[in-house]
Amino acid sequence: MSFFNRLKSQPKANKTNQKALNSRGRGLIIFQVVEEAIMAEKQLKQANIGCKLVAPPPQLRKGCDLALEIDLIEQPAIERTLKEKVYFVGIFPLQGSAELLNHVKINYYDKYTMVKAGNMKLVFNSESGVIVNTSGGGCPDIPYLNLQMVGKKLNEAPRPREKGFTLCSLMLDRAFEEACALWEGGKK
Amino acid sequence: MLVICGIIPIPDLPLICGPVKAEAGSLILEGHKIPCSQGTAAMVSAALAVSTYLDNEPPIALLAGDIGSGAGSRLIYNYIIEHVATLKPRVLAMHYCMPDLKLTVNLCEAVKTMPEKPIMLADAASMYAAKAADIAPQFDMFTPDLSEIAFLADPEAIHPAYINKHLFESDCSKIPLLIEQAYRHKGAAKNLLVKGAVDYIVAEGKIIDEIEAPDVPILECIGGTGDTITGMVAAFADAELELHQAAIISAKANRAAGEYAQVTPANSVSVLINALPQVFKDNLCAWSGVCSL
Repeated sequence: MSFFNRLKSQPKANKTNQKALNSRGRGLIIFQVVEEAIMAEKQLKQANIGCKLVAPPPQLRKGCDLALEIDLIEQPAIERTLKEKVYFVGIFPLQGSAELLNHVKINYYDKYTMVKAGNMKLVFNSESGVIVNTSGGGCPDIPYLNLQMVGKKLNEAPRPREKGFTLCSLMLDRAFEEACALWEGGKK
Repeated sequence: MLVICGIIPIPDLPLICGPVKAEAGSLILEGHKIPCSQGTAAMVSAALAVSTYLDNEPPIALLAGDIGSGAGSRLIYNYIIEHVATLKPRVLAMHYCMPDLKLTVNLCEAVKTMPEKPIMLADAASMYAAKAADIAPQFDMFTPDLSEIAFLADPEAIHPAYINKHLFESDCSKIPLLIEQAYRHKGAAKNLLVKGAVDYIVAEGKIIDEIEAPDVPILECIGGTGDTITGMVAAFADAELELHQAAIISAKANRAAGEYAQVTPANSVSVLINALPQVFKDNLCAWSGVCSL
């Protein structure tokens, strides 16, 4: 390749990298009908959440030909914004595993129970149900949720998916859900 | 100079930047009192414990309030991108922030223009962003736990919540395999400290040490015990220890602090941080070979 051709090809390579970067971390909201997709876009924009209308790829097509592309990390905040306002089929990542991790592990330490869900952990007093610690994760809502939840009983603490904004809070919510079931089961 | 960047869960905390000091269990920065809780505050507190013990300059913290919207995170990214060349840190540690791929790439581009590139550490969502943006090898150190090393090993994953479940279901015995995969797929920094029942110290893809004593499994329950390790690694690296040596000492110190404090699952991370000075006094000479300050 000549020197000038190499020069010409350079910006194209950068453009390709930029395009690849733009698609990383993105997800799609899938709808049944076009009107719902348009209504959802309006709701998200009003809530200052970035999104754009796109055509879904064939493997994610469930109904209508419009989907909303979003920043996947904001999944819980998006779900909360659309809840009871717009019906959507689901939220899916544009790459990687299509399913949210649903793997839960339990460890017991004397009078405490630790529930691990994905990268998040929640520890509660097995008898009183008081949350004594949350750990793991790395998103910006996690330290805040720790302050909101620790010291409260499981049945009085806020749900992470109601207060959180990110995928880490969804994982913490999964641990919370399991902890509630274990504690309720233990009382019977 | 060590610069630590991350969010604090105080919604109205503005962007602040400067040397930190400790006062009655809290951090003080520009007149703001920041409780030593899970996250960047725990990381900064552990780094401060190291620098105070070594009589080194305190870490510079770049903090902003953010409870999940990402607004404070963007203030931090934009500030550090603009000022990293004038701050000239020896060590730059990125911590809890909204994982913004473009801003992470921009930060790495800004760092590349510096005559002396800082040692780059990332943990928490800053590590997620570096991996998801395919620029992990530009970082010098990541400090993942078991679930996060599975994320780094999954070439397609953009967050630990969406990883191949077969990788996630790996037990501890599979960690060397996950480390190998993470390097093969360019999802790892040059060095890793993989935190867990056994802490693995990895340099350029090779496991060079495994720390398993003292065994304090309760540490996993306590929010912030990973943050303290990363804070210590950053501060020891700032004190000119080799990164792998900083990682080995930090892993040992965290475990020893758990043992000294006789932690329970209901303890807060501050209990661990309070034990660090005595841990250093009793052990640093033996661990580092440096016996006079």
